[in-house]
Amino acid sequence: MMLAAIQTDESLWSLEWLPRLPQRLVEMLLHKLGASEWFVDFGGLLAAAVTVVAVFLGAFALLSLIERKTLARVQNRIGPNRAGWFGILQPVADGIKMLTKEDIVPARAEKLLHLLAPILIGLPAILALGVIPYGREWTPVSLDLGLLFFFSIGALTEVSVFMAGWASGSKFPMLGAMRAISQMVSYELPLLLSALGVVMVTGSLSLPEIVARQEGYHLGFLPAWNLLTPWGLVGGLVFFIAALAESNRSPFDLPEGESEIVAGHMTEYSGFKYALFFMGEYLGLFAISGLGITLFLGGWQAPLPGLEFVPSWIWFFGKLALVIFLFLWIRATFPRLRIDQLMRFAWLCLIPMALLTLPAAAIWHFTGRGFLSWVVTVPLLMIPWGILTVIFNKRLAPATRTYRFADS
Amino acid sequence: MIALFLLTILVLLAALGAVWNARPVHAALLLALALALHAVLYLMIGAHFIGLVQFMVYVGAVAVLIVFSLLITRPRDEEEEIARRPRTLGVGLLCTLPVLGVLLHAVSRFADTGPVATDAPAISLERLGTILYTTHAPAVLAVAVLLTAVMIGAALFAREPGKKSSVSPDP
Amino acid sequence: MNQDKMETPAAPARWTWPGLGLLQGLAVSGKNFVQSFYKKERMTTVQYPEERAPISPNFRNFPFLCYDGDDPKAGLRCTACTICEKECPPQCIYIVLDRDENGKSLKRPKVFDIDISVCMNCGICAEVCPFDSIYMDGEYELSTDDRFGGLMLGLDRLSKSADYHMKLRPEQATEVMERRKAEEEKKAAAAAAKAAKAKADQEAKEKAAAEAGASGEKGDEA
Repeated sequence: MMLAAIQTDESLWSLEWLPRLPQRLVEMLLHKLGASEWFVDFGGLLAAAVTVVAVFLGAFALLSLIERKTLARVQNRIGPNRAGWFGILQPVADGIKMLTKEDIVPARAEKLLHLLAPILIGLPAILALGVIPYGREWTPVSLDLGLLFFFSIGALTEVSVFMAGWASGSKFPMLGAMRAISQMVSYELPLLLSALGVVMVTGSLSLPEIVARQEGYHLGFLPAWNLLTPWGLVGGLVFFIAALAESNRSPFDLPEGESEIVAGHMTEYSGFKYALFFMGEYLGLFAISGLGITLFLGGWQAPLPGLEFVPSWIWFFGKLALVIFLFLWIRATFPRLRIDQLMRFAWLCLIPMALLTLPAAAIWHFTGRGFLSWVVTVPLLMIPWGILTVIFNKRLAPATRTYRFADS
Repeated sequence: MIALFLLTILVLLAALGAVWNARPVHAALLLALALALHAVLYLMIGAHFIGLVQFMVYVGAVAVLIVFSLLITRPRDEEEEIARRPRTLGVGLLCTLPVLGVLLHAVSRFADTGPVATDAPAISLERLGTILYTTHAPAVLAVAVLLTAVMIGAALFAREPGKKSSVSPDP
Repeated sequence: MNQDKMETPAAPARWTWPGLGLLQGLAVSGKNFVQSFYKKERMTTVQYPEERAPISPNFRNFPFLCYDGDDPKAGLRCTACTICEKECPPQCIYIVLDRDENGKSLKRPKVFDIDISVCMNCGICAEVCPFDSIYMDGEYELSTDDRFGGLMLGLDRLSKSADYHMKLRPEQATEVMERRKAEEEKKAAAAAAKAAKAKADQEAKEKAAAEAGASGEKGDEA
């Protein structure tokens, strides 16, 4: 039965079947038990969903430790190392602490909405994780409109952030929610627009299809990923920056700016509800990184020819780890932006550049994706970018700082 | 079918709650719920694209816009709102009754033909897009111009006269 | 002064490649990250309960009382003069003089309490003490679950040997020791001189008496 469950298009040793195993096993078991077809499908999907949630909750626990370790290393500290070997049990300790903490609901809070917000906040991230192709043979739910599903389900985050901020009945959550919503709305635009170029070139909203179209290599060794095209590079960068803002990561972590508004919309939450917010944020980070990898970094495709023998899902998770590390590195480096800088950056820089990738992608598509396309699209993107940076440097960049008293 | 009926009842309840609730924030959230349930309804009858777009546009943009404007404005007194209720109700009914009449009339005309059974949308998404941007391009453009004008108008109204940006750039 | 004149004009922004500053910042934090794995001198963290950073001789915390020799009671330098008690700004020192049954001062404290929840570590007590008795301690693990008793240090917890002082602040302790030794020697010398003088006086007296006796005798004889 075990072998029958591993029905794979490729050899047994490719290990492509591994992430799909729980789903297959449950399906076979239900089939043996004589369940109806609908029930077999349902059970299989449930198993797939449980697998996704389990994998990413584990990754979340691990990331909460790795993030602290990485930040510590950048600051030449050691980081958590008390619980278990190298602090490996720290997430467990954190979990126990969160679970046993008192759950405080402010007297002026809207009880129902206050309770509902942390429950809803993790939902879109988990749903979005379900449509991402993790391996050649494993997309938990393969939707034709996967990309659209991803973005439309993300809308729920804003509503739940608003619920949290408003239902807490105090000023810091309110301010945090205002910041969070205006930031999310502003950065959703460049996020969407930069993803649109990929859709134009691929001609499909289906995420597995988008990955499949990035197969092959240029010049024999350069992977044919969308990132390695002029419009893809710009789109990928815009997507990355917008993803930083969308997942409230530093340097765009204004909604929970500790030094200004305590913890933003999470101020009045404690115990497990706070943990749920934390979890939702990290799952959202995984989801949006996964989407970025799917759109621009070739999903589960191997980065070099001859490396296809490694299971494709290992490539996906390797890329995910790299992208997440980039997130951590950026968090460890840059200071937080001011709200007006944030807004101006989104509307005056990111959105124009993201809009420009659309004609560039169209030209790329219609000029044969060869040398000619490079010649046309590179100046199309470079010149506006140069103009934008000159304007930004002249008008908005802070002048070289002079210290009136210290320098004399 | 039963699920659809239950869902319809839920949509109606949420919509009624959105109209009836005196607290603006609750009303807005119930409106968002009603819109989201609409999306679910579309998804259940197989119109995936419309369902997802409904979710993205109405829950993601319209409801968030309403909610956000509630955040930055001061809602009016609740009791005053409740006191005004009979008059509001009268005006509301006056407006909705003709619409309801037209709707019922339209439905009754199709009632004897029986339900239209279609397994899949008659035209594909691609075809829809092509039609929208070729034959109906003027209409799309007109709507776009209208929306742009509305946006500029709103920005002009929102801006206080004689005042430049209130946030100064870096020194 | 005119505020406008003090304002230096902002220097014009230098041209750099856009984004260069961001990359430089990333390079700095990346260097820190990588080097933290193999450069020992970068990682200065001390694993506290297992190991401790050496404390500087200038580190000072709540006071302690110094005693010579092995017996904390007999060797205590304190004479209960109460100068420190009077000088202490937050008044955290409480001293009771020890007396014998006749009410005569024994020149040592019966009670010497320092409330370290009040003490502000100023070190004035150590400075004013004329008997080299009170010094600032280096002990910092003083947390306790007893709010009142645990933070009220009595003679038993305050008394620490001169060796401890030597270990804690060798320079100061050596200086004090040498001074005390010199003083003792001086005292001993003075005492010896006094004794010698007394002896001489005695001898002179005896001599005079003897002489007087002799002259008496002589007189008698005469």
